[in-house]
Amino acid sequence: MIEVVLNDRLGKKVRVKCNDDDTIGDLKKLVAAQTGTRADKIRIQKWYTIYKDHITLKDCEIHDGMGLELYYN
Amino acid sequence: MANRTDPAAKSIRGTNPQNLVEKILRSKIYQNTYWKEQCFGLTAETLVDKAMELDHLGGTYGGNRKPTPFMCLVMKMLQIQPEKEIVIEFIKNEDYKYVRVLGAFYLRLTGTDVDVYRYLEPLYNDYRKLRRKLADGQFTLTHVDEVIDELLTKDYSCDIALPRVKRRWNLESLGSLEPRRSALEEDFEEEEEKEDNDQPADELEDRAYEKDYYRGRSPTRERERDRRRDSHRHRDRDYDRDYDRDYDRDRDRDRDRDRDRERDRDRYRLREEKDYGREREGRERDRRDRDRDRGRRRSRSRSRSRSKDRKDYDGGDYRKRHARSSASPRRHGDGHEDDEPKKKKEKKEKKEKKDDGTDHPDPEIAEANKLRAALGLKPLKV
Repeated sequence: MIEVVLNDRLGKKVRVKCNDDDTIGDLKKLVAAQTGTRADKIRIQKWYTIYKDHITLKDCEIHDGMGLELYYN
Repeated sequence: MANRTDPAAKSIRGTNPQNLVEKILRSKIYQNTYWKEQCFGLTAETLVDKAMELDHLGGTYGGNRKPTPFMCLVMKMLQIQPEKEIVIEFIKNEDYKYVRVLGAFYLRLTGTDVDVYRYLEPLYNDYRKLRRKLADGQFTLTHVDEVIDELLTKDYSCDIALPRVKRRWNLESLGSLEPRRSALEEDFEEEEEKEDNDQPADELEDRAYEKDYYRGRSPTRERERDRRRDSHRHRDRDYDRDYDRDYDRDRDRDRDRDRDRERDRDRYRLREEKDYGREREGRERDRRDRDRDRGRRRSRSRSRSRSKDRKDYDGGDYRKRHARSSASPRRHGDGHEDDEPKKKKEKKEKKEKKDDGTDHPDPEIAEANKLRAALGLKPLKV
Protein backbone atom coordinates (compact mmCIF):
# COMPACT_ATOMS: atom_id res chain seq x y z
CA MET A 1 0.00 0.00 0.00
CA ILE A 2 1.42 3.35 -0.90
CA GLU A 3 0.28 6.83 -0.19
CA VAL A 4 0.59 9.55 -2.78
CA VAL A 5 0.04 13.26 -2.39
CA LEU A 6 -1.70 15.20 -5.10
CA ASN A 7 -1.53 18.95 -5.15
CA ASP A 8 -3.16 21.31 -7.57
CA ARG A 9 -1.43 24.41 -6.22
CA LEU A 10 -4.73 26.19 -5.92
CA GLY A 11 -5.66 24.89 -2.52
CA LYS A 12 -6.47 21.24 -3.10
CA LYS A 13 -4.00 18.93 -1.51
CA VAL A 14 -5.08 15.34 -1.23
CA ARG A 15 -3.43 12.28 0.28
CA VAL A 16 -4.61 9.05 -1.23
CA LYS A 17 -3.87 5.50 -0.11
CA CYS A 18 -3.67 3.01 -2.91
CA ASN A 19 -1.98 -0.17 -4.05
CA ASP A 20 0.99 0.01 -6.32
CA ASP A 21 -0.76 -2.19 -8.83
CA ASP A 22 -3.70 0.18 -9.15
CA THR A 23 -3.91 1.98 -12.43
CA ILE A 24 -3.86 5.75 -12.87
CA GLY A 25 -7.53 5.53 -13.74
CA ASP A 26 -8.26 3.96 -10.35
CA LEU A 27 -6.21 6.63 -8.67
CA LYS A 28 -8.26 9.26 -10.45
CA LYS A 29 -11.44 7.66 -9.16
CA LEU A 30 -10.11 7.73 -5.63
CA VAL A 31 -9.09 11.35 -5.98
CA ALA A 32 -12.47 12.20 -7.46
CA ALA A 33 -14.17 10.61 -4.47
CA GLN A 34 -12.12 12.75 -2.15
CA THR A 35 -12.17 16.04 -3.96
CA GLY A 36 -15.58 15.98 -5.55
CA THR A 37 -14.54 16.62 -9.15
CA ARG A 38 -15.41 14.08 -11.76
CA ALA A 39 -12.82 11.40 -12.42
CA ASP A 40 -12.63 12.12 -16.12
CA LYS A 41 -11.95 15.77 -15.49
CA ILE A 42 -8.78 15.07 -13.58
CA ARG A 43 -5.36 15.02 -15.10
CA ILE A 44 -2.38 13.72 -13.15
CA GLN A 45 0.98 15.03 -14.24
CA LYS A 46 4.55 15.12 -13.17
CA TRP A 47 6.16 18.15 -14.77
CA TYR A 48 5.14 17.71 -18.40
CA THR A 49 4.46 14.00 -18.29
CA ILE A 50 0.76 13.36 -18.37
CA TYR A 51 0.08 9.92 -16.97
CA LYS A 52 -2.18 7.68 -18.98
CA ASP A 53 -5.17 5.95 -17.42
CA HIS A 54 -4.32 2.35 -18.11
CA ILE A 55 -0.77 2.22 -16.72
CA THR A 56 -0.24 0.96 -13.19
CA LEU A 57 1.39 3.13 -10.57
CA LYS A 58 4.25 0.73 -10.29
CA ASP A 59 5.02 1.05 -13.97
CA CYS A 60 4.80 4.82 -13.70
CA GLU A 61 7.43 4.55 -10.96
CA ILE A 62 5.23 6.30 -8.46
CA HIS A 63 6.47 5.41 -5.00
CA ASP A 64 5.21 5.93 -1.52
CA GLY A 65 5.02 9.55 -0.45
CA MET A 66 5.56 10.92 -3.92
CA GLY A 67 3.93 14.17 -4.87
CA LEU A 68 1.97 14.46 -8.08
CA GLU A 69 0.47 17.44 -9.80
CA LEU A 70 -3.24 17.67 -10.12
CA TYR A 71 -4.64 19.41 -13.16
CA TYR A 72 -8.04 19.54 -14.70
CA ASN A 73 -9.24 18.86 -18.18
CA MET B 1 -14.53 39.41 -31.08
CA ALA B 2 -14.85 36.02 -32.60
CA ASN B 3 -15.63 34.46 -29.30
CA ARG B 4 -18.18 36.88 -28.00
CA THR B 5 -21.76 35.80 -27.89
CA ASP B 6 -24.12 37.52 -30.25
CA PRO B 7 -25.22 40.68 -28.42
CA ALA B 8 -28.81 40.09 -29.43
CA ALA B 9 -28.80 36.64 -27.89
CA LYS B 10 -30.91 35.94 -24.84
CA SER B 11 -29.32 34.75 -21.67
CA ILE B 12 -29.92 31.12 -20.90
CA ARG B 13 -30.55 30.01 -17.36
CA GLY B 14 -29.44 33.39 -16.17
CA THR B 15 -26.09 33.47 -17.86
CA ASN B 16 -24.27 33.95 -21.11
CA PRO B 17 -25.22 30.92 -23.18
CA GLN B 18 -21.63 30.06 -23.78
CA ASN B 19 -21.17 29.57 -20.06
CA LEU B 20 -23.15 26.38 -20.29
CA VAL B 21 -19.89 24.87 -21.36
CA GLU B 22 -17.44 25.09 -18.55
CA LYS B 23 -14.36 27.27 -18.58
CA ILE B 24 -11.66 24.76 -19.30
CA LEU B 25 -13.53 23.13 -22.14
CA ARG B 26 -14.50 26.51 -23.51
CA SER B 27 -10.89 27.66 -23.69
CA LYS B 28 -9.94 24.40 -25.34
CA ILE B 29 -12.57 24.97 -27.99
CA TYR B 30 -11.44 28.52 -28.64
CA GLN B 31 -7.90 27.35 -29.19
CA ASN B 32 -8.93 24.55 -31.49
CA THR B 33 -8.03 24.86 -35.19
CA TYR B 34 -11.39 23.61 -36.37
CA TRP B 35 -13.04 26.38 -34.44
CA LYS B 36 -10.67 29.02 -35.71
CA GLU B 37 -10.76 28.00 -39.33
CA GLN B 38 -14.19 26.60 -39.98
CA CYS B 39 -16.39 28.14 -37.38
CA PHE B 40 -15.45 31.72 -38.01
CA GLY B 41 -18.36 33.89 -39.02
CA LEU B 42 -20.86 31.07 -39.29
CA THR B 43 -24.53 31.88 -39.51
CA ALA B 44 -27.45 29.58 -39.04
CA GLU B 45 -27.51 28.60 -42.72
CA THR B 46 -23.81 27.98 -43.11
CA LEU B 47 -23.86 26.12 -39.84
CA VAL B 48 -26.20 23.60 -41.40
CA ASP B 49 -23.65 22.91 -44.11
CA LYS B 50 -20.96 22.32 -41.55
CA ALA B 51 -23.26 20.11 -39.55
CA MET B 52 -23.98 17.98 -42.57
CA GLU B 53 -20.27 17.28 -42.88
CA LEU B 54 -20.08 15.84 -39.37
CA ASP B 55 -19.28 12.19 -39.18
CA HIS B 56 -18.92 11.49 -35.50
CA LEU B 57 -19.96 12.85 -32.17
CA GLY B 58 -18.10 13.01 -28.92
CA GLY B 59 -16.61 15.16 -26.24
CA THR B 60 -12.91 15.61 -25.77
CA TYR B 61 -10.26 13.07 -26.53
CA GLY B 62 -6.59 12.45 -26.16
CA GLY B 63 -4.10 13.27 -23.48
CA ASN B 64 -4.57 17.00 -23.81
CA ARG B 65 -8.30 16.73 -24.31
CA LYS B 66 -8.87 17.99 -27.81
CA PRO B 67 -12.48 18.85 -28.58
CA THR B 68 -14.28 17.20 -31.47
CA PRO B 69 -15.87 19.18 -34.31
CA PHE B 70 -19.23 18.21 -32.84
CA MET B 71 -18.29 20.11 -29.69
CA CYS B 72 -17.17 23.11 -31.68
CA LEU B 73 -20.46 23.23 -33.55
CA VAL B 74 -22.44 22.99 -30.32
CA MET B 75 -20.42 25.90 -29.05
CA LYS B 76 -21.09 27.82 -32.23
CA MET B 77 -24.81 27.25 -31.88
CA LEU B 78 -24.65 28.52 -28.34
CA GLN B 79 -22.84 31.55 -29.59
CA ILE B 80 -25.15 32.53 -32.42
CA GLN B 81 -28.28 31.15 -30.75
CA PRO B 82 -30.47 30.12 -33.68
CA GLU B 83 -34.21 30.35 -33.25
CA LYS B 84 -36.30 27.55 -31.90
CA GLU B 85 -37.86 26.82 -35.29
CA ILE B 86 -34.47 26.28 -36.81
CA VAL B 87 -33.45 23.93 -34.04
CA ILE B 88 -36.67 21.99 -34.44
CA GLU B 89 -35.98 21.73 -38.14
CA PHE B 90 -32.62 20.25 -37.30
CA ILE B 91 -34.31 17.70 -35.13
CA LYS B 92 -37.09 16.88 -37.53
CA ASN B 93 -34.90 16.32 -40.56
CA GLU B 94 -34.58 12.66 -41.38
CA ASP B 95 -31.68 12.66 -43.78
CA TYR B 96 -28.73 13.71 -41.72
CA LYS B 97 -28.53 11.92 -38.41
CA TYR B 98 -25.66 13.97 -37.03
CA VAL B 99 -27.58 17.17 -37.71
CA ARG B 100 -30.42 15.61 -35.79
CA VAL B 101 -28.27 14.76 -32.84
CA LEU B 102 -26.68 18.20 -32.90
CA GLY B 103 -30.09 19.83 -32.77
CA ALA B 104 -31.19 17.49 -30.01
CA PHE B 105 -28.10 18.27 -27.97
CA TYR B 106 -28.57 21.98 -28.37
CA LEU B 107 -32.22 21.74 -27.39
CA ARG B 108 -31.33 19.71 -24.35
CA LEU B 109 -28.95 22.44 -23.27
CA THR B 110 -31.15 25.41 -23.94
CA GLY B 111 -34.76 24.31 -24.12
CA THR B 112 -37.43 24.26 -21.45
CA ASP B 113 -38.33 20.99 -19.74
CA VAL B 114 -41.51 20.45 -21.67
CA ASP B 115 -39.80 21.18 -24.98
CA VAL B 116 -37.00 18.80 -24.18
CA TYR B 117 -39.35 15.89 -23.58
CA ARG B 118 -41.68 16.78 -26.37
CA TYR B 119 -39.09 17.03 -29.11
CA LEU B 120 -36.57 14.49 -27.96
CA GLU B 121 -38.85 11.59 -27.22
CA PRO B 122 -39.90 11.01 -30.84
CA LEU B 123 -36.22 10.47 -31.55
CA TYR B 124 -36.38 7.30 -29.50
CA ASN B 125 -37.71 5.65 -32.61
CA ASP B 126 -34.61 6.38 -34.61
CA TYR B 127 -32.36 3.34 -34.59
CA ARG B 128 -29.62 4.51 -36.83
CA LYS B 129 -26.01 3.91 -35.98
CA LEU B 130 -23.70 6.65 -34.89
CA ARG B 131 -19.99 6.87 -34.46
CA ARG B 132 -18.81 8.17 -31.13
CA LYS B 133 -15.32 9.23 -30.22
CA LEU B 134 -14.23 8.16 -26.77
CA ALA B 135 -11.83 9.90 -24.44
CA ASP B 136 -8.91 7.75 -25.52
CA GLY B 137 -9.37 8.67 -29.16
CA GLN B 138 -11.00 5.46 -30.31
CA PHE B 139 -14.35 5.23 -32.01
CA THR B 140 -17.22 3.22 -30.74
CA LEU B 141 -20.63 2.33 -32.07
CA THR B 142 -23.75 3.83 -30.63
CA HIS B 143 -27.27 4.56 -31.84
CA VAL B 144 -29.43 7.64 -32.02
CA ASP B 145 -31.89 6.37 -29.45
CA GLU B 146 -29.08 5.50 -27.05
CA VAL B 147 -27.76 9.01 -27.31
CA ILE B 148 -31.22 10.47 -26.72
CA ASP B 149 -31.66 8.23 -23.72
CA GLU B 150 -28.39 9.49 -22.34
CA LEU B 151 -29.49 13.06 -22.87
CA LEU B 152 -32.77 12.51 -21.12
CA THR B 153 -31.63 10.41 -18.21
CA LYS B 154 -28.03 11.22 -17.39
CA ASP B 155 -26.74 14.57 -16.34
CA TYR B 156 -23.44 14.48 -18.15
CA SER B 157 -22.81 13.86 -21.79
CA CYS B 158 -20.00 14.60 -24.21
CA ASP B 159 -18.03 16.31 -21.47
CA ILE B 160 -20.74 18.89 -20.88
CA ALA B 161 -22.76 18.96 -17.72
CA LEU B 162 -26.35 18.97 -18.88
CA PRO B 163 -28.69 21.37 -17.13
CA ARG B 164 -31.26 19.80 -14.86
CA VAL B 165 -34.67 19.09 -16.28
CA LYS B 166 -37.62 18.06 -14.18
CA ARG B 167 -38.48 14.38 -14.06
CA ARG B 168 -41.09 13.24 -16.46
CA TRP B 169 -43.55 12.14 -13.83
CA ASN B 170 -43.29 15.57 -12.26
CA LEU B 171 -44.36 17.18 -15.45
CA GLU B 172 -47.10 14.61 -15.91
CA SER B 173 -48.50 15.28 -12.50
CA LEU B 174 -48.42 18.98 -13.24
CA GLY B 175 -50.38 18.26 -16.36
CA SER B 176 -47.88 19.83 -18.74
CA LEU B 177 -47.16 16.52 -20.40
CA GLU B 178 -49.14 13.48 -21.22
CA PRO B 179 -48.07 10.10 -19.93
CA ARG B 180 -45.52 8.51 -22.14
CA ARG B 181 -46.76 6.33 -24.92
CA SER B 182 -44.05 4.16 -26.27
CA ALA B 183 -44.14 3.39 -29.96
CA LEU B 184 -43.51 -0.22 -29.03
CA GLU B 185 -46.52 -0.44 -26.79
CA GLU B 186 -48.67 -2.13 -29.39
CA ASP B 187 -45.93 -4.65 -30.03
CA PHE B 188 -45.75 -5.49 -26.35
CA GLU B 189 -49.47 -5.94 -26.12
CA GLU B 190 -49.46 -8.23 -29.10
CA GLU B 191 -46.74 -10.33 -27.62
CA GLU B 192 -48.54 -10.59 -24.36
CA GLU B 193 -51.71 -11.65 -26.13
CA LYS B 194 -49.79 -14.34 -27.90
CA GLU B 195 -48.33 -15.66 -24.70
CA ASP B 196 -51.75 -15.67 -23.13
CA ASN B 197 -52.83 -18.15 -25.70
CA ASP B 198 -49.70 -20.27 -25.66
CA GLN B 199 -48.96 -20.79 -22.02
CA PRO B 200 -50.99 -21.86 -19.01
CA ALA B 201 -52.62 -19.46 -16.69
CA ASP B 202 -50.69 -19.81 -13.46
CA GLU B 203 -47.35 -18.96 -14.76
CA LEU B 204 -48.86 -16.03 -16.51
CA GLU B 205 -50.62 -14.93 -13.39
CA ASP B 206 -47.45 -15.03 -11.46
CA ARG B 207 -45.83 -13.07 -14.15
CA ALA B 208 -48.73 -10.73 -14.15
CA TYR B 209 -48.34 -9.75 -10.60
CA GLU B 210 -44.62 -9.72 -10.95
CA LYS B 211 -45.14 -7.28 -13.73
CA ASP B 212 -47.58 -5.18 -11.81
CA TYR B 213 -45.35 -5.26 -8.88
CA TYR B 214 -41.90 -4.58 -10.17
CA ARG B 215 -42.98 -1.81 -12.38
CA GLY B 216 -39.53 -0.71 -13.27
CA ARG B 217 -38.62 -3.86 -15.11
CA SER B 218 -39.55 -4.28 -18.70
CA PRO B 219 -42.04 -7.03 -19.48
CA THR B 220 -39.81 -8.71 -22.03
CA ARG B 221 -37.00 -9.00 -19.59
CA GLU B 222 -39.21 -10.59 -16.98
CA ARG B 223 -40.64 -12.96 -19.47
CA GLU B 224 -37.23 -13.97 -20.63
CA ARG B 225 -36.10 -14.52 -17.12
CA ASP B 226 -39.10 -16.68 -16.39
CA ARG B 227 -38.66 -18.54 -19.58
CA ARG B 228 -35.05 -19.19 -18.84
CA ARG B 229 -35.81 -20.35 -15.36
CA ASP B 230 -38.61 -22.58 -16.41
CA SER B 231 -36.94 -23.96 -19.48
CA HIS B 232 -34.17 -25.29 -17.31
CA ARG B 233 -36.71 -27.10 -15.20
CA HIS B 234 -38.35 -28.42 -18.27
CA ARG B 235 -35.17 -29.89 -19.59
CA ASP B 236 -34.15 -31.57 -16.38
CA ARG B 237 -37.01 -33.97 -16.29
CA ASP B 238 -37.66 -36.71 -18.69
CA TYR B 239 -40.53 -35.26 -20.48
CA ASP B 240 -43.12 -37.86 -19.91
CA ARG B 241 -46.51 -36.34 -19.93
CA ASP B 242 -48.50 -39.37 -19.03
CA TYR B 243 -46.44 -40.15 -16.02
CA ASP B 244 -46.76 -36.66 -14.76
CA ARG B 245 -50.43 -36.40 -15.38
CA ASP B 246 -51.11 -39.57 -13.44
CA TYR B 247 -48.78 -38.54 -10.72
CA ASP B 248 -50.21 -35.13 -10.42
CA ARG B 249 -53.76 -36.24 -10.22
CA ASP B 250 -52.98 -37.83 -6.89
CA ARG B 251 -51.55 -34.73 -5.42
CA ASP B 252 -53.17 -32.68 -2.81
CA ARG B 253 -54.19 -29.12 -3.04
CA ASP B 254 -51.94 -28.48 -0.07
CA ARG B 255 -48.95 -29.77 -1.87
CA ASP B 256 -49.77 -27.26 -4.54
CA ARG B 257 -49.66 -24.57 -1.98
CA ASP B 258 -46.41 -25.70 -0.48
CA ARG B 259 -44.88 -25.84 -3.87
CA ASP B 260 -46.03 -22.38 -4.57
CA ARG B 261 -44.56 -21.12 -1.40
CA GLU B 262 -41.25 -22.77 -2.02
CA ARG B 263 -41.06 -21.56 -5.50
CA ASP B 264 -41.89 -18.09 -4.42
CA ARG B 265 -39.28 -18.30 -1.76
CA ASP B 266 -36.81 -19.19 -4.44
CA ARG B 267 -37.90 -16.16 -6.31
CA TYR B 268 -37.46 -14.09 -3.20
CA ARG B 269 -33.92 -15.22 -2.92
CA LEU B 270 -33.21 -14.11 -6.43
CA ARG B 271 -34.82 -10.82 -5.58
CA GLU B 272 -32.68 -10.43 -2.49
CA GLU B 273 -29.59 -10.61 -4.52
CA LYS B 274 -30.88 -7.77 -6.52
CA ASP B 275 -31.53 -5.93 -3.30
CA TYR B 276 -35.23 -5.46 -3.48
CA GLY B 277 -35.68 -4.83 0.19
CA ARG B 278 -37.52 -6.68 2.84
CA GLU B 279 -40.79 -4.81 2.79
CA ARG B 280 -41.39 -5.96 -0.71
CA GLU B 281 -40.99 -9.53 0.36
CA GLY B 282 -43.47 -9.12 3.12
CA ARG B 283 -45.88 -7.44 0.80
CA GLU B 284 -45.40 -10.09 -1.83
CA ARG B 285 -46.13 -12.78 0.68
CA ASP B 286 -49.32 -11.05 1.68
CA ARG B 287 -50.25 -10.65 -1.87
CA ARG B 288 -49.56 -14.23 -2.64
CA ASP B 289 -51.61 -15.35 0.31
CA ARG B 290 -54.42 -13.21 -0.82
CA ASP B 291 -54.25 -14.45 -4.32
CA ARG B 292 -53.89 -18.02 -3.42
CA ASP B 293 -57.56 -18.74 -3.55
CA ARG B 294 -57.21 -17.67 -7.15
CA GLY B 295 -60.40 -15.80 -6.98
CA ARG B 296 -58.89 -12.51 -7.76
CA ARG B 297 -56.38 -12.75 -10.53
CA ARG B 298 -55.97 -9.53 -12.35
CA SER B 299 -55.32 -8.43 -15.89
CA ARG B 300 -55.09 -11.04 -18.53
CA SER B 301 -56.03 -14.03 -16.50
CA ARG B 302 -59.65 -13.20 -15.97
CA SER B 303 -60.76 -15.49 -18.70
CA ARG B 304 -58.65 -18.36 -17.46
CA SER B 305 -60.28 -21.51 -16.20
CA ARG B 306 -59.77 -22.08 -12.54
CA SER B 307 -57.69 -24.64 -10.75
CA LYS B 308 -59.88 -27.67 -11.24
CA ASP B 309 -59.95 -27.27 -14.95
CA ARG B 310 -56.30 -26.54 -15.12
CA LYS B 311 -55.31 -30.09 -14.55
CA ASP B 312 -57.01 -31.07 -17.74
CA TYR B 313 -55.79 -28.08 -19.57
CA ASP B 314 -52.42 -29.21 -20.57
CA GLY B 315 -51.49 -31.55 -17.81
CA GLY B 316 -47.88 -32.36 -18.12
CA ASP B 317 -46.86 -29.21 -19.83
CA TYR B 318 -48.47 -27.04 -17.26
CA ARG B 319 -47.12 -28.92 -14.33
CA LYS B 320 -43.68 -28.87 -15.75
CA ARG B 321 -43.43 -25.22 -16.04
CA HIS B 322 -45.45 -24.30 -13.06
CA ALA B 323 -43.34 -25.97 -10.42
CA ARG B 324 -41.52 -29.14 -9.58
CA SER B 325 -44.03 -31.76 -10.50
CA SER B 326 -42.42 -35.21 -10.51
CA ALA B 327 -40.74 -37.02 -7.69
CA SER B 328 -37.05 -37.03 -8.46
CA PRO B 329 -36.68 -33.43 -9.41
CA ARG B 330 -38.79 -32.66 -6.44
CA ARG B 331 -36.24 -34.35 -4.25
CA HIS B 332 -33.58 -32.28 -5.88
CA GLY B 333 -35.79 -29.38 -5.24
CA ASP B 334 -36.05 -30.33 -1.61
CA GLY B 335 -32.34 -30.59 -1.32
CA HIS B 336 -32.09 -27.31 -3.04
CA GLU B 337 -34.52 -25.73 -0.65
CA ASP B 338 -32.65 -27.08 2.31
CA ASP B 339 -29.50 -25.55 1.05
CA GLU B 340 -31.15 -22.22 0.74
CA PRO B 341 -31.27 -21.25 4.37
CA LYS B 342 -27.78 -22.63 4.75
CA LYS B 343 -26.58 -20.63 1.81
CA LYS B 344 -28.18 -17.54 3.21
CA LYS B 345 -26.35 -18.05 6.44
CA GLU B 346 -23.07 -18.67 4.71
CA LYS B 347 -23.49 -15.58 2.69
CA LYS B 348 -24.15 -13.55 5.80
CA GLU B 349 -21.17 -15.04 7.54
CA LYS B 350 -19.00 -14.30 4.61
CA LYS B 351 -20.16 -10.75 4.69
CA GLU B 352 -19.23 -10.60 8.33
CA LYS B 353 -15.73 -11.80 7.56
CA LYS B 354 -15.51 -9.35 4.68
CA ASP B 355 -13.12 -10.31 1.96
CA ASP B 356 -12.91 -6.71 0.86
CA GLY B 357 -11.06 -5.66 3.96
CA THR B 358 -13.66 -3.30 5.31
CA ASP B 359 -13.33 -4.76 8.76
CA HIS B 360 -9.68 -3.97 9.11
CA PRO B 361 -8.72 -2.97 12.65
CA ASP B 362 -7.23 0.31 11.51
CA PRO B 363 -10.23 2.57 10.94
CA GLU B 364 -8.53 4.60 8.25
CA ILE B 365 -7.74 1.54 6.21
CA ALA B 366 -11.21 0.16 6.76
CA GLU B 367 -12.65 3.43 5.53
CA ALA B 368 -10.39 3.43 2.49
CA ASN B 369 -11.37 -0.14 1.73
CA LYS B 370 -15.01 0.72 1.94
CA LEU B 371 -14.52 3.44 -0.62
CA ARG B 372 -12.58 1.13 -2.85
CA ALA B 373 -15.25 -1.50 -2.67
CA ALA B 374 -17.79 1.12 -3.64
CA LEU B 375 -15.69 2.04 -6.66
CA GLY B 376 -15.13 -1.57 -7.59
CA LEU B 377 -11.48 -1.78 -6.70
CA LYS B 378 -9.70 -4.47 -4.77
CA PRO B 379 -8.86 -3.78 -1.13
CA LEU B 380 -5.58 -2.27 -0.04
CA LYS B 381 -2.63 -4.56 0.35
CA VAL B 382 -1.42 -3.67 3.78
